[in-house]
Amino acid sequence: MSAIGIFDSVQLTAIAEEVFAAMVDGEPGHLQPWWDGPVAVAEPVHAWVDLHASYKGRVLLTTDAATADDLARALLGMGDGEPVSEADLIDAFGEVANVVGGNLKALLPEQGRLTMPVVSWQPPAHEGATQLDEVLLAWRGRPLVISVWNL
Amino acid sequence: MLRVVIADDSRVMRQIVIRTLRQAGYDWQITEAADGAIALEVVTAEKPDLVLSDWNMPNMTGIELLRALRNGGDDVPFGFVTSEGSPAMRDEAAAAGALFLVAKPFSAESFRDVLEPVLA
Repeated sequence: MSAIGIFDSVQLTAIAEEVFAAMVDGEPGHLQPWWDGPVAVAEPVHAWVDLHASYKGRVLLTTDAATADDLARALLGMGDGEPVSEADLIDAFGEVANVVGGNLKALLPEQGRLTMPVVSWQPPAHEGATQLDEVLLAWRGRPLVISVWNL
Repeated sequence: MLRVVIADDSRVMRQIVIRTLRQAGYDWQITEAADGAIALEVVTAEKPDLVLSDWNMPNMTGIELLRALRNGGDDVPFGFVTSEGSPAMRDEAAAAGALFLVAKPFSAESFRDVLEPVLA
């Protein structure tokens, strides 16, 4: 098993909940497991960071564009419906991926290098990669998918 | 008023750090830097009282920034604010001369805990 395969869904969920409570919402309870069956993400936006050590891994977050806009509003202290620039969306969603990835990396026995976050409307190429885990979450009722990959 | 340089390639994160510092009661004069190389120029020119820096940044990382400052004889108080708070990175930061490392996500209390001893 890859070193990054030590994570389980409980750890992934706990770290994501901690990140959202402290950084996004200012209080716990707004990020929860998704209980409403299969997740359908309309207009998906993807944010990921890679971990480079003796192994290569990836932490990938996916949500829909409207939810990514709301994440940016929450992080920047903007009002409901206030226009979000593409630069702010990329910055905000990428930073969420960066913090989730950094906190997961800190749990690994072997440290390594965390890449800069990438945000794209296209999913990353995953040829030859193996998905090790995936958690389906709901942020304020909207879908957020976090997956961990061995590259 | 304390003059502080905040170095982070994420504008969003710089805003969050500034907001959290205010929540912690620190209403300081802030200069923002978008990467380590810019921060090195700003710190050298402005001689701030404190530097708060991300670790993983383009052009020049936070640890490279700290080492460049120390190699240049600048002993400005320096702390990291980073998503990677492993024991190994804390050791590396301390060995390079950092006073503290605040791991993201952080709270106002996180900053108070590390800054009060520095400000005392």
